[in-house]
Amino acid sequence: MSEAREKHLDELREIVAEVLEVEPEEITETGSFVEEHEADSLRAIEILARIEKKYKIDIPQSELPRMENLKAVHDVVATQAGWQD
Amino acid sequence: MTTLEHADIRRILPHRHPVLLVDRVLDLEPGVRIVATKTVTGSEPCYAGLDENLQGSAYAYPSSLLVESFGQTGAVLWLYSAATSGERREGTLIFGSARDVTITGSAYPGDVLRHTVEIDQLIGDNAFMRGETWVGDRRIATLGSVLAVVREELAAGTGS
Repeated sequence: MSEAREKHLDELREIVAEVLEVEPEEITETGSFVEEHEADSLRAIEILARIEKKYKIDIPQSELPRMENLKAVHDVVATQAGWQD
Repeated sequence: MTTLEHADIRRILPHRHPVLLVDRVLDLEPGVRIVATKTVTGSEPCYAGLDENLQGSAYAYPSSLLVESFGQTGAVLWLYSAATSGERREGTLIFGSARDVTITGSAYPGDVLRHTVEIDQLIGDNAFMRGETWVGDRRIATLGSVLAVVREELAAGTGS
């Protein structure tokens, strides 16, 4: 895993954990936000909003359904932000 | 400077008595900021049926209603701004969440809550707002992030 990818995953994990009100360690790459942490559409929009703000990017709302776990969030953000992770 | 009276507010918000918790808009800058008031009185439903022997502190205006009133104030700013820029927001207005809320004081019957709300971030049908609530020259609450949303489909069992 590249250093950049690891750094980005940590940053995203921090955001997700804060919104879902769990410890960052509880957010695994493939653990479902909905099934493991009872996330709903409001939590999802909060996660999206914080990511947009932090990285100063626009994420189409149509990407929301894809952002079901940390790895998927990273993939979506990487595309929008042009990360080469 | 835009001001709105109660009749105007009722045209913007779907809330009605006794849950319409914004009385008057003192100033509104579309898309940016609003200052609005909500007067707390002894005839509020939240004070009905309280025991006769309670102390004064029992009459502090509930923080849940204060946050709701703040959220409604933000919704006035959002919906008024959307309407003036020709956007349509159709659906049910819902209180999404409140985060980073610090309550530093209380309001009592006779006090006037003055909310100052700014739009922080707009994403489609979702508005993130932040601001403060004052009583006179006392700041009684700071609200870091309040989310209001409009949702078209509210079918049972689909989650919030």
